[in-house]
Amino acid sequence: MLSLFRFIAKHTAYLYFLLYCGISILLMQLQRKETLDAIRERGLAMNASVAEQLSNFTSIFTLRQDNEQLLLQNARLFSQVMHQQQELRDSKAMQAASAEAPAWARQFRLARIVDRRFSATDNMLVIDAGAHQGITRDMTVLTPDGLVGRITDVSQNYSKILPVINKDFMVSVVSDSTRTLGLLSWQNGDERIAHMEHVPVSSNLKVGEQVTTSDYSTFAIRGIPVGRVVRISKDKLFCNIDIRLAVDFSSLSYVLISPAKPSREKIEIMGGDTGRKGQ
Amino acid sequence: MLVLVQHFIVSRLVILHASPDILTVFIAFVSMSIGQRTGTTYGFAAGLLSGFFTGNIGLSALAGTVEGFTAGYFHVPEESHATSVKKRRMYYIAATTALLSGNLLQALLSDPLSLPLYIRLPEMVILGTLMSMMLGTLMYKLVLKKLLKD
Repeated sequence: MLSLFRFIAKHTAYLYFLLYCGISILLMQLQRKETLDAIRERGLAMNASVAEQLSNFTSIFTLRQDNEQLLLQNARLFSQVMHQQQELRDSKAMQAASAEAPAWARQFRLARIVDRRFSATDNMLVIDAGAHQGITRDMTVLTPDGLVGRITDVSQNYSKILPVINKDFMVSVVSDSTRTLGLLSWQNGDERIAHMEHVPVSSNLKVGEQVTTSDYSTFAIRGIPVGRVVRISKDKLFCNIDIRLAVDFSSLSYVLISPAKPSREKIEIMGGDTGRKGQ
Repeated sequence: MLVLVQHFIVSRLVILHASPDILTVFIAFVSMSIGQRTGTTYGFAAGLLSGFFTGNIGLSALAGTVEGFTAGYFHVPEESHATSVKKRRMYYIAATTALLSGNLLQALLSDPLSLPLYIRLPEMVILGTLMSMMLGTLMYKLVLKKLLKD
């Protein structure tokens, strides 16, 4: 017994090291559990509020107000344009399309980006709108240029966005002319280029075609511009397609959030949760 | 306080996806001057706090623990009456070792930007360590040197 105590006394540092490593690994494993989600939520709220204070400190106050008004107006116009474009597209396919035009296009919410990270360890955006403003997980985030990402974490007044340029992000897309379907993901270090997967070599997809979100997505509303095809090379079964993203993430300061919630019924019938990756 | 400074100011100085890390430099200093056990505890606590802001609580805590533990091997006990030159040398070695081990761990276990390993390792480990050591040198000359003499 005495030798055990001696051993412990002699190797306390190692025991501490093992204990802390054990706790850390346990935390890594439990990263997605509810309690840790709550802690992360609070962290996100604190982080965002301090970041917001810092950004407020450097911004010119009146200029920002004017800017916000212009952006709100812009958002209204953009939603009208999208609504009209959607109607036009649908009217070609079926006569009753205008009656089914989506309500979401008129109700975008505007939010300001209060924190952003595009480093190798931390890749996300934080906006100043949260549960109090009606934001929920898996809502679509966009700008008039195109798709930005989706909401992954929500606190009372802030939300965290998983951007398109994150390897965990995936979305179902379709090309505008040939109606080629595929899955968009981002897998390399170039911030403007994403990839379209699962497009068979027999497809007629052309360079220059615009790519938008499709009906198959479990979180994104359809018809949001995502980017443009810039390169197509054929492999054995599928094409390797590069998409130049429509949104310039380096100059992003305001985003729009679509209040359209993901169709739970659709997700359930597809067999489960959207998961972190979603589509 | 140092966690806040690191998170809101220092970590924004990003060059090629790498940013300096004053927390690790501080952990290495504690470990070198007080001891491996205390350094490991400080590293774990600092990692937890840092992870609270970034969302990677587990990985940050693990990296902090490893940093504190490795730097502890270069502990200079009070009773050794080591010269200031030796203390300075041990501080630089402890900080470099802690930074290399912590950055390597983070580079291997975390990669939201999906950078290939041959880019991630030089950028995060080598460039990150170099940038942090520049700050570490500055910290030593301005503050830590005085603390060591006491």
